[in-house]
Amino acid sequence: MAMEIQRQDSGVWDDSEDNGSPGDRQSLRLRRVSSQVTQKNYPQFSWSVTPTETDREGPRGSQRDIRTLPMPMALKRAVRQVQQMQVPVVSRMDSWKRKKTKVLLKLKDDAMEILSFFTLWNKSLQMIGGNFGGGVQSYFLFLRFLVILNFISFLLIAGFVLIPSIVFSSVGTSFLVLNSTGLENCTKYDPNPQGLVAFYKYLLDVVSGTGFMEYSYLFYGYYNNTVVEDSDFSYNIPLAYVFTAVFYFAFCLICIIARMGTAARVAVATGGSTVSNYSITVFTAWNYGCLGDTATTLQQKNLHYQLQVDLEEERIKKQAAALTSKEKVVLYSVRVLMGFLALGLIIAAFYCIFLATNFSQQKSGTSGIQGLIWDYLPSIVITAANFMVPLLCDQIAVIERYAPSTTVIVALLRAVFLRLVSLGVLLFTLWSQITCDGDTNTGDCKLCQYNHNLYPCWETRIGQEMYKLTLFDLLTNIAVLLLVEFPRRIVVDHWSSKLARWVGRQEFEVPLNVLGLVYGQTVVWTGALFCPLLPAINTIKFIILFYCKKATLFHNCRPAQKTFRSTTSSFFFLMVLLFGWSLATLVLIYSLSEIQPSLGCGPFSFFPSMWSVVANTFYKLPTVTREFLFFIGSQAFSIPLFVLSCVVMCYFAALFSVHGKNVALLRAQLKLEGRDKQFLVKQIVELSRRLQTLHHSAGEEESI
Amino acid sequence: MGNKQTIFTAQQLDAYQDCTYFTRKEILRLFYRYRDLAPQLVPLDYTNHPDVKLPYELIGSMPELKDNPFRQRIAEVFSEDGEGNMTLDDFLDMFSVLSEMAPRDLKAYYAFKIYDFNDDDFICKSDLEKTLNKLTRNELTEDEVRMVCEKVIDEADLDNDGRLSLEDFQHMIVRAPDFLSTFHIRI
Repeated sequence: MAMEIQRQDSGVWDDSEDNGSPGDRQSLRLRRVSSQVTQKNYPQFSWSVTPTETDREGPRGSQRDIRTLPMPMALKRAVRQVQQMQVPVVSRMDSWKRKKTKVLLKLKDDAMEILSFFTLWNKSLQMIGGNFGGGVQSYFLFLRFLVILNFISFLLIAGFVLIPSIVFSSVGTSFLVLNSTGLENCTKYDPNPQGLVAFYKYLLDVVSGTGFMEYSYLFYGYYNNTVVEDSDFSYNIPLAYVFTAVFYFAFCLICIIARMGTAARVAVATGGSTVSNYSITVFTAWNYGCLGDTATTLQQKNLHYQLQVDLEEERIKKQAAALTSKEKVVLYSVRVLMGFLALGLIIAAFYCIFLATNFSQQKSGTSGIQGLIWDYLPSIVITAANFMVPLLCDQIAVIERYAPSTTVIVALLRAVFLRLVSLGVLLFTLWSQITCDGDTNTGDCKLCQYNHNLYPCWETRIGQEMYKLTLFDLLTNIAVLLLVEFPRRIVVDHWSSKLARWVGRQEFEVPLNVLGLVYGQTVVWTGALFCPLLPAINTIKFIILFYCKKATLFHNCRPAQKTFRSTTSSFFFLMVLLFGWSLATLVLIYSLSEIQPSLGCGPFSFFPSMWSVVANTFYKLPTVTREFLFFIGSQAFSIPLFVLSCVVMCYFAALFSVHGKNVALLRAQLKLEGRDKQFLVKQIVELSRRLQTLHHSAGEEESI
Repeated sequence: MGNKQTIFTAQQLDAYQDCTYFTRKEILRLFYRYRDLAPQLVPLDYTNHPDVKLPYELIGSMPELKDNPFRQRIAEVFSEDGEGNMTLDDFLDMFSVLSEMAPRDLKAYYAFKIYDFNDDDFICKSDLEKTLNKLTRNELTEDEVRMVCEKVIDEADLDNDGRLSLEDFQHMIVRAPDFLSTFHIRI
């Protein structure tokens, strides 16, 4: 009974299958899937042109539709024949257009293939994704993004600041004008070591950026305020320095936002991570174009992980929803308490860093290994705090019992706060010493507007601190690798005891590693103004880090038991990176505009601030350009622009909400139609049954 | 270029061009790929419509398909006899639907057929279980498979009959941003 009804439903295509007996294995494609939609799309068997969905319009629009018909080739040919009899003229223009688009698409495909061949570490990333899941892979993707960002930044800086400095150091004129005679003490700056230098001092110098490394292209102090002015070519190094720094920051911002845009688009297009996740994963995640046995196995493992992540979230949510209200109250109060405890830990760490930095400044100048240790004390304390506090917060998180993804986010937020603000504390401490706690007219700062006794060249000093932080970060990572992770693996593998089994092989902790990357990048951004080669050093550091982390991942780690969702994680990493960027931007803006540059070194020796170079050059521009720029900055232009952009945003917001409502409405309608269909089918069954019984009884009556 | 070829008549080539998403060159190239699977079975002259069917084993051994866990279903769906033995028409049709130019609805239709293992025009729980096992190489536990199947039917079944019809499937595909790029075999 049901089969007949289905046949009636599905329109007339099914006539073709009546020829064979039901027992034969029929062509699956000739057997049309029963659907109401097809009823609407192919109403009559009249071979007329059916307006199916066409992606592109063309002059012979009707002819194109054959290809979109889900029929076997023989039927399509028949349809085509009938159509050709109806339409006399076949245009050649269209086939040429189609061929052209095909060629372009193929070119684009070939270009993408070649590009993917050159894309850095593609194969490694695929292997990592297959063996350890999307979460770990997103960390390595993020790392690759940072490597490329740093490399391009280095090219930028090299092209506009480094190479002109090298080239023009012998050509250009650098002026050291003394405005007033009282400032001789301020210009005393002699970083070159005197006399015989012990061999090991070179090593110490490399590690702490002093000595022969201090007066080199590595640091701000070596650059001069060279201005080259030829008849047809002029190059102003100070101006280039400032503009390159500003542009470097703007460029990084654009890259991050572009990358966030792509990540956000995927998240929004899928309608949020919780809707239709399973069905989309099951039906559309398999890449049919995947070749080779290993790639297929990797894909299968990937899908396995993805489904496991989703299922675990479900389980936790169910558990959480099943709590009684009393348990909930207890849980929430525990969470608040633990939150305060974590905050207390973090503030304690900040205080330690403050103390350590002050102590280190007091003791600076001692030589030898002890001097090195005092020099590195801030970095040591920061690294120790960044290591200990997240461990403790992890234990706190166990008591808090959030859902896995929430736990990850909370841990990450805490660690972000700790790391970046500890960096801020370090910078604050340095600042208070350079500018004598902000009051530049007291004590040591009175003469030169900065503390020239402690810091004859304060920019180089900050650059050195950032350089030391970067190096120390790399050294710590490698040391942890060699001294903790490999031995742990060896112990766990070869010593079978209960303790070893409880400790177990370690897992790759994605959020904390990502935070390490963000911290390293923030340090580089902060220091880029004072140490122009820092992006290059960072590129090398991140490349080394990639290979080290990959090695430890494959040799020491086991696949995560706490699975980590990767869909929204890349967006989140970029948010955190943006937070670090804004911290560095604050430092940049403050250094450019507020503090008096050192008088003894650097390209800005006799400017009141670094930004005044730009102001001076601005007044040398032709009048028209100046007027134009003034106009753009003035209120007459910016207020209408602001109002216009508000209007445009309101329009888009309204459009967005209307579309959302539409989608919800249509979805509800679909559900209703489904129920209607079921109801009608039941009615039909009921009616035909009644009809049968009537026939039966009528037949019986007749026979009687 | 193809004016000198003697495999197809001009009308045949035109018909193929209209009925698939391939150009003349690609159709000829695909013909040679088809022929390479069994040179002794496939004649070089198709002008008189020879009735040549390649067995499924040869189709399934193509490098583009041999590692795909769904290759048997793909061949069955696109073949005339439903067993996976393909004529040249079926072959061209299959790769045309799986090419990047095919529209989403067409692909969704055939994807639905591929995942409908028992050919009852609905994706029911058993079909889903088979799909899942093929996707994850049987590594999910029974419980997990059951939970995922329940979730999928919860999410996608709009007319509440406990299984997915073609509309449910197409409606769900609309919200998948990368379906067009994953349901794609390059040949």
